[in-house]
Amino acid sequence: MSNKLNINKILLLAAMVFGVSGGFAAADAIDDITPVTDEMLLNPSDGDWLMWRRTYDGWGYSPLDQINKGNVSELKLAWAWGMSPGGRTQETPVVHDGIMFVQNSSHLIQALDASNGDLIWEYDYDLPDDARTQGVRSKAIYGDNLIIATRDARLLSINAKTGQLNWNKQVANYKKGYSFSSGPIVANGVIVQGATGCSKAQPGGCFITGHDPATGAEIWRVHTIARGDTPEGNSWNGVPLASRHGGSAWISGSYDPDTNLILIGVGQPYPWNMEMAGLKPKISDLRVSNDALYTNATLAIDANTGELKWYHQYLPTDGLDLDYVYERVLIDLPFNGKMRKQVVTTGKIGIIESVDRTTGEWLWAKETVRQNVVLSWDKKTGKKTINPDTFPVAGETTVNCPADPGAHAWQPAGYSPLTKAMYVPTVEFCSNTTVKTLDPGEIYTGGGMQTYSRVEHPDGDSNIGQIFAINMTDQSELWQYRQRAPLTSSTLPTGGGVVFVGSMDRYFLAFDDTTGEKLWSSGKLSNALESFPITYTAGGKQYVAIMANHKSGLGRLSSITPEIQLPPDNPATLYVFALPN
Amino acid sequence: MILPTIHSFLRLTGLLLAVLFPSSPGLANDPEFFDVPFANNQWNIGRRVDESKLRYCIDRRNPDWELAAEIVEAVAGALLLEPQRYEVESDFIVEDITRIYAIMLEHCDIHMGFKLTPGGYDNWITLTRSYYHAEYVFITADPDLLALGNLAPTRAIGPTMGTSAHIRLISYIKALSAEDRWPIYPMGTSELVLKSLLNGTIDVGLLWGPAFWAKQVQDPVYAELHVIDPSPLPPTILGVGALLLADKIFLRTAFDEAITALIEDGTIAGILEKFNFPATARP
Repeated sequence: MSNKLNINKILLLAAMVFGVSGGFAAADAIDDITPVTDEMLLNPSDGDWLMWRRTYDGWGYSPLDQINKGNVSELKLAWAWGMSPGGRTQETPVVHDGIMFVQNSSHLIQALDASNGDLIWEYDYDLPDDARTQGVRSKAIYGDNLIIATRDARLLSINAKTGQLNWNKQVANYKKGYSFSSGPIVANGVIVQGATGCSKAQPGGCFITGHDPATGAEIWRVHTIARGDTPEGNSWNGVPLASRHGGSAWISGSYDPDTNLILIGVGQPYPWNMEMAGLKPKISDLRVSNDALYTNATLAIDANTGELKWYHQYLPTDGLDLDYVYERVLIDLPFNGKMRKQVVTTGKIGIIESVDRTTGEWLWAKETVRQNVVLSWDKKTGKKTINPDTFPVAGETTVNCPADPGAHAWQPAGYSPLTKAMYVPTVEFCSNTTVKTLDPGEIYTGGGMQTYSRVEHPDGDSNIGQIFAINMTDQSELWQYRQRAPLTSSTLPTGGGVVFVGSMDRYFLAFDDTTGEKLWSSGKLSNALESFPITYTAGGKQYVAIMANHKSGLGRLSSITPEIQLPPDNPATLYVFALPN
Repeated sequence: MILPTIHSFLRLTGLLLAVLFPSSPGLANDPEFFDVPFANNQWNIGRRVDESKLRYCIDRRNPDWELAAEIVEAVAGALLLEPQRYEVESDFIVEDITRIYAIMLEHCDIHMGFKLTPGGYDNWITLTRSYYHAEYVFITADPDLLALGNLAPTRAIGPTMGTSAHIRLISYIKALSAEDRWPIYPMGTSELVLKSLLNGTIDVGLLWGPAFWAKQVQDPVYAELHVIDPSPLPPTILGVGALLLADKIFLRTAFDEAITALIEDGTIAGILEKFNFPATARP
């Protein structure tokens, strides 16, 4: 009870500090909500935010320009909405026709009037008591229905107008560790969902599945760990399928309608330590590698058949939990004088890499933060030379930069077609890494088997958080912003020439997209801003929304920024800003 | 029977416990992500008021749960506390240790059955001294194989992944030339080690001895498997104790004293012998 009061006090205070400006959308706006068609998903209305990164290309960009460089300094809090406290959540609301849909960490699904935050309906999914009470990063909307992924590895179809459940499909057994931490996209009429949590309890790795939106029935399944007597299947140092773990697909993919390909990332092998995973020492059989495919790769999957068309692996034999699982940004720009259809991603090491998304051919890489894991890479293939001193070995403590949360973490980079720049949120830090045994109890043996003691970079300037604005036409640096507090949200570039981002020390910030000048800062909000800001219109007015919540990945940096104090009960609050009427 | 002097000490301890038992879950330091325990609605879990009880947890998924219950009940008797048992009910195969935070916050002060490894636990946890020691065992279905040293380099070993014994095995094979190394197929659980032995995926398994003992007791299909001599590797032996939240220092001290007394008077050895359990009680 006292915590609820605290949250209310915080919200009241925030309203007093920022000045609340309310909207006046009709309460029955939900009655006018239209079905989401394939065409809408391909070319969404400027005022809608229909999927995780708004559009299939993963840009996370909105063309809205009511809020722009000239007036962003006038932003005020329009409304706020308290959500289930305590559980980790990294919410991306979906907005369609002025209605916002959110998923609480408790799995309470709510429809809100996006102009004023009034509750329209809610559906309380009965998450099992023994499933983790945490949010899911994103959701889809298709036809008349929301498509929701759950922490107990189910997909739900919920009528967007009424909140009534259409179907509930179990995809995997959560008691074996399977879970969904990111939601689906719907591509060419197929729900595409990636699984996570494929660790010790369930050998054979994770998977990506395609489902029928009408019933939830599984249409196809792609295993993220290669199998069979193929070069890919023989990339696990000779260990059998029963000894292969990991390959979580824990971030939603992008979709290229021209090729009908899902471009999606796969995480690292498990456990992190390669000796424990059986991937080292390398066996002498020359037909066998220890690359551990398809971990740390982009998979290009036909949206309708599930056929794996190509893959590109960025970091084989990863022993440091340095996933290449994050956002896939689809950009068509020249490279070496030739127009290329590129898929760009940034791994935890903070190296931006581009691959031709029609063929899988590696194109280029661009380093951002100081790191010591990759010594160099082949300029034609991208094949990396790894610093052997960073390999964790039992009985030793090694130093690696970055540490496991990643120089670039799950907070995706936004891309603006106005500047042709990608805005990459990064953090700079290192880890003293020690191999840890997992003896404890017969059941309680989950975990990564390495201890990462995070420290500042020895050559750093104590600025942990950065944004790198990279010109994607020539990979040059447009600008760079640095501050002490980690930047903990995705970046949101808009048609107004503004880039929004949230920070661990509870500020929501706006920058000039061409100069990096800070144009606006919110007051201190209720918690760290570890989520995905969005912008939309309701009643013809532009709003910017972001979720405040902590303990979500970069929360692990709290040990090197102890001066940033956050509320212990981890309140979760959705903040929505707008210009004064 | 406990010696009279020890009994007197423990009686006093028990009285002090009733007065001083801390029950709030406050943490000394701010742990990091994934190490941060969280219980749903933890702020609604109140302070316990009945301080005459020793609330303990056992988990039937642990191979030693029956004898662990007898040991902790003996401890409760020594501390003049009324034992209150909570059986963890779950069919998860593997769990992260942070899950235990919610269980302890709500149900128990002591959770039995954790191996003692230096640096193996986060700082929100404290552990008691060991009440028994057991070892990881190499096992096989090959009746002719009696020692690890006689295993041909072409034959595979399947260790339970990430254990101290697995790390010791890795260190050993790295010292061998490539052609002399056994293939190592790490397995996620003891259950998978045993299944892989029976289906021929591996030739030798390496798992926690009590886990093997429990399976042999429960299922005759494992009767044909036998333990082999670990040489040239030394045996990997670990103590097993109980887990508490880090602020339960007084209870931990009392528990340790009681265990020492129960080992010295032969009580724990008697319990191990009763179950024919593959472990020893060490002073």
